[in-house]
Amino acid sequence: MHWAELLFELTVMPLVAFLVGLFMVLMMRKIGARLQRRVGPPLMQPLYDIVKLYGKRTQTSHGLLHEIGIVMAVGGYVAAETLLPVPGMNGIAEKGGMITLLYLTMIPSLGMALGVGQCANPNGSIGISRALTAMLAYDIPFVIVIAGVAMHFGTTNLVDVITQQQAGGFETWGISQMPLLALAGLFALQGMLGKQPFEIYVAPAEIATGPMVEMGGKFLGGLFVMQCFQLYTASVLYVTLFLGGGENWITFLAKAFAVLVIPISVAFLFPRYRTEDMITMLWKWPVVLGLLGLVFVGS
Amino acid sequence: MNELDLLLLIAAASIPLNALLAPAKLGRWLTVAGYAVQLGLLFALTPGDAIRSTLSFDLLGNHVGWQLDALGWFFAIVTVAAAGFSAAFAAGEWGEINGRQGLSLRWLYAGLQINVLAMLLLLSSADFISLFIGWELTSWSGLILMLLAGGEAIRAALRYIVYALAGGMAVFAGLVMTHAAAGSLQFDAMQAIAPTLTNAQLWSIALLFITGFSVKMATMPFHLWQAPAYAYSPGPASAFLGAISARMGLFAIALVAIKIVGVIQLDRLAFWNDIANLRDLLAWIAVVTAILPTFVAMRQNDARLLLSWHGIGQGGYMLLGLVVADSLGSAGALLHVFNYATYQAILLMAVFAVVHRTGTADLNRLGGLVARMPLTFLAMLVGIIGLAGLPPMNGFVSKWMIYRSLVTEGMPLLFVATVIGTLGTVLSVYKLLHNTFLGQLRLEHVEVKEAPWSMTVPMLLLCVVVFVTGVMPGFVLSHVAAVQQAIGLEAVRYTLGGIESPAGSLDMIWITGVLFAGFGIGAILFYGFGGRSVRVHQLDNYAGGHFLTADVRYQYSDNFYAGLMHRIRPWYRDSFAWMESSLVSAVGAVSTLARGFFEQANPAYWALLGTTVVMTWMMWHALG
Repeated sequence: MHWAELLFELTVMPLVAFLVGLFMVLMMRKIGARLQRRVGPPLMQPLYDIVKLYGKRTQTSHGLLHEIGIVMAVGGYVAAETLLPVPGMNGIAEKGGMITLLYLTMIPSLGMALGVGQCANPNGSIGISRALTAMLAYDIPFVIVIAGVAMHFGTTNLVDVITQQQAGGFETWGISQMPLLALAGLFALQGMLGKQPFEIYVAPAEIATGPMVEMGGKFLGGLFVMQCFQLYTASVLYVTLFLGGGENWITFLAKAFAVLVIPISVAFLFPRYRTEDMITMLWKWPVVLGLLGLVFVGS
Repeated sequence: MNELDLLLLIAAASIPLNALLAPAKLGRWLTVAGYAVQLGLLFALTPGDAIRSTLSFDLLGNHVGWQLDALGWFFAIVTVAAAGFSAAFAAGEWGEINGRQGLSLRWLYAGLQINVLAMLLLLSSADFISLFIGWELTSWSGLILMLLAGGEAIRAALRYIVYALAGGMAVFAGLVMTHAAAGSLQFDAMQAIAPTLTNAQLWSIALLFITGFSVKMATMPFHLWQAPAYAYSPGPASAFLGAISARMGLFAIALVAIKIVGVIQLDRLAFWNDIANLRDLLAWIAVVTAILPTFVAMRQNDARLLLSWHGIGQGGYMLLGLVVADSLGSAGALLHVFNYATYQAILLMAVFAVVHRTGTADLNRLGGLVARMPLTFLAMLVGIIGLAGLPPMNGFVSKWMIYRSLVTEGMPLLFVATVIGTLGTVLSVYKLLHNTFLGQLRLEHVEVKEAPWSMTVPMLLLCVVVFVTGVMPGFVLSHVAAVQQAIGLEAVRYTLGGIESPAGSLDMIWITGVLFAGFGIGAILFYGFGGRSVRVHQLDNYAGGHFLTADVRYQYSDNFYAGLMHRIRPWYRDSFAWMESSLVSAVGAVSTLARGFFEQANPAYWALLGTTVVMTWMMWHALG
């Protein structure tokens, strides 16, 4: 591939991810509003929020690491997007694969954890301890899903996974070949997005006890950007593993948004689990479903 | 006299020399230069040639000799380098202050070199007798370093030597069985006869050797001695032992089980109606070793113990990759030996640098040191990213190779289990970093200064190694491929940036490139736009709207993962500690009985017991 073409892809992929992510945030808030019989925010509201947060006059930094944490949180996702194939663009997806992507998406979390830790706020530290616990909880079913998918397609290369699924239409999609794993993946997705009932570590309703407690101004703005990337990455990864990726941009975006509707709707209808109950929940049903799915893949 | 002779000679001569030089600062730096010379000699050896030492003798009709092939060379490089970095760490202020406080620097430096010599002898063993000599020397020389700190270290060291003796016995019994089966103690003889051994012979030989070697590796259930023995040793000794010492067990398993007996032979040893064989058993033991000690580490409040427990867990990954024994998995395992040594040395050094400045490794008595010791923080950050196995550090590459080999070799459950271990590691190392460097700074640590350059430079140099071999693992993989060929496995196909394969590639040069480009974009977004951020003083904090003065302690450190522990605490049953103590009690009871018998403390009782046994026996025969 020509280097200019590659450079173009590497630039465009994160940019698209961010733009799509903004609309995903919008959709999330719209769905929440409709379920609560409100009108919801206008089209450009997520962007306005970021601009507002960046423009705040009070921007308190607790030290260099606090700032680097935000840089890592955003930068890690920018890098991760280049490993996630989109229609017509593979970026460097073939040089990484799904295991690398799984670990690369831990970098933003690590960045956030470092930034919060530097703030010396015990409530922030508690939030991080819960966030990491949540990661341990949802990643176990998710890893089972990854193992099953990689076994089924015989590769960890996401480009190959998409090609194999698109070869035979819906019949060869991950979801029709591995319905149990797809279901387990949906549970993991809910945890990964940090949405109810698994949102105790974010604790948006009581800001004093979450990782965000010391985050204001563009620190929070940076995390907002990270959330856009996070929504995009999680849903596109699911589309890639189970829904045949995108044949073209229209079906791709339709699938990506459709996947997100499920966790978001669930989120606005459910209350919250305590940390230990979240672990029990995620280590029980999705793990059982995933292991059953593995048996079918193996046989 | 060839290069190997010269190397062994210099290593031996350095022992008294180190003891002589150690008390003086310049002398200690000279010992570092000595390690550089040994390392240079090792690089001058061409590992592929399997150079034979002229040192040899005959014992009971067996030829005993030493030779260094690619397998031994790979481990030897790590050993000598680890010793050199540890020696440098202690050469400056650390040695001065600890020497003044009563630590015997002569024994520390001589002990380090004794360990290096013993390991070099082990690594260049050419037959079972030299292997056994090297094995015993390595076991005993480790004891020197463990005993140095005194106090609780002595208890841990004595526990170690009991385990090591038991392991040595098992190896010796394996030797006897080998001699009985092959009629010789040469490696070739065993290699030739291995396919013709009966299953019973192979079972006993394999189990004896693997058990003996596993004790050194601290593979479960022989793991209890390792964490305290390594953690309570003096700083540089702990870094050296933690980095490489336990890997001698892996070397010996690679040599005996993979190269000499042959990994195919292990598949013969099936049990449970052929459902599983010895290789599966080893793989599952390895994976349990990768998981359980990791979660024990998570509970530790002493930074040194936390890291040492992780050392046990990381050994599990290596053993797992090695017994999977495909080209990618075994390469991952061998690469992990190198990678693990680099970041574990960094981490232990960083912890001991903090101990040097603050006087404690208690994770509940530290915190907020990031602004006081930024270089040590940076070193620990690089180290934990390596230990947790996240890109772009080298720990990720070796673990990735093991993961992918498990997935594509059709062992998804083992893959899932190893990732559980890795996730536990992520949690645990964040706790280590947070409780040491992040969160609230204690008032008594406000005046703490950065560790002296003699300690930070070795750490940062190792950080460079961790990063460079993470981005360009091809440098190390070329040696790994040579090792694979030397032990009869298929060599891995690698590129400078990682692995090229239709079943999933890895190119760390690209991954790291986009990662840092991403960070650059993140930095531009953060620093280039929006309002200016104002930094507040580290002690200017409040919690949940309550303004706090700096003397109020509110660091969140104890029971860091309270929610998780609430769920999994019932699973910690200390079963292995219970098993060990019941074994000790049983041995104690038997010895008391034996002593009573020997001293004839109760002659009537023994007469009664003896008569009862004899009569029971007679009646048994009369009736049956």
